[in-house]
Amino acid sequence: MSIDMVTSSLRFGLVELNWTFVFQLINTLILFLILKKFLFVPVTTFMKKREDEIKDQIQAAKDLDEDAQKLKAQYELKLTHADEEGKEIIKKYTHRAENRAFEIVKTAEAEVDTMKLNAHRELERERVKAVNELKGQISELTILAASKVVEKDLNEADHKELINKFISEVGETQWQN
Amino acid sequence: MGSEGFGPRIVFTLRDLPFVGDIPVSETVTVTWMIIFVLLVFSIVATRNMKREAKGLQLVVEQIVSVVNNLTKQNMGERNYMWAPFVGTLLFFIGISNIIGLLGFRPPTGDLNTTMCLSITTFVLTQFFGVKSKGLGGYGKGFLQPMPFLLPLNIIGELANPVSLGFRLFGNITAGIIIMSLLYGALGSLTDSLFGLAVPLFQVGVPAVFHIYFDMFAGLLQSFIFTMLTMVFISGAME
Repeated sequence: MSIDMVTSSLRFGLVELNWTFVFQLINTLILFLILKKFLFVPVTTFMKKREDEIKDQIQAAKDLDEDAQKLKAQYELKLTHADEEGKEIIKKYTHRAENRAFEIVKTAEAEVDTMKLNAHRELERERVKAVNELKGQISELTILAASKVVEKDLNEADHKELINKFISEVGETQWQN
Repeated sequence: MGSEGFGPRIVFTLRDLPFVGDIPVSETVTVTWMIIFVLLVFSIVATRNMKREAKGLQLVVEQIVSVVNNLTKQNMGERNYMWAPFVGTLLFFIGISNIIGLLGFRPPTGDLNTTMCLSITTFVLTQFFGVKSKGLGGYGKGFLQPMPFLLPLNIIGELANPVSLGFRLFGNITAGIIIMSLLYGALGSLTDSLFGLAVPLFQVGVPAVFHIYFDMFAGLLQSFIFTMLTMVFISGAME
């Protein structure tokens, strides 16, 4: 077997079937296999894979979005409840505070009344005490004065009784106002 | 075989092969090898390191493959998707063959051997998948439709398909080759007779318009027609 390169311009006829047919059959088969293995299968597989990936991602994003929407709705519901609850609590405590304030004021008023009363009583007592002391001093002064006037040593005990009686009579009429 | 005419040149001859003797190899075959080589290199380079975000060559190759895939799906149905590599082979091989005349090569499709090889392949696939999907009985019955006496006509019609398919492509491309070489010859002698110049000035620019028509337009159109008809025949036989 040898290969003979022909440099002359020998040609096949324009319309004839020859060995070229067999060569071209084999060439077509080879080209088909090459394009299938190296071009169509890898590229189609790659694009399919990418398409699937993107589809998955979009699905995942949709799922996530759905979840988020659900959560949002839940939270909104909760928030509305919380708002109502808060109002309720405020109302309750306002009411309680009002009651409390009312009670405090009432207690304070009662206490003030008691204190006033006590103060009155104290005052009264002090006054009575003062008056009694005054009575005693007046009687002594009177005796002193009387003994100076009379220049005579009276029986102190008798006179004191007498004067006290007088003063108490006078005092009673005065104190009755 | 001779040294005249528009037939493909014989590039080399395999001599003294056992049983068959000498086999002359024409430029049709060598140009086809070149096309195969270019497509092989392109396929390997373009599908190397494919990224999720396509750009550059990957974008081109993805676009090409999806165009062929979609063409196959549209013409043969979603389930005959696996025919895409075959459709692509026909489309690329015939398309590149038809426009390779622009680079000064003789188009392989300007050889009846190539076109008949492709159309007979289509014919065989059509018959094979017709029988496979309908069964031999169902397939045979198709030849008796609509009337039994039309059987000879149906057979002739079926056999005419590969012949018309092969000769249409061959005729278009060969006509282009012949017209273009006649045009070059005419432009050369026109320069010679008008100015007496040995340099064929008119061959500059003027043939470009004809190249656009015969190589680009007719060439791409014929490759598309061949591919479309192949898809129609095969899917028609399978239905």
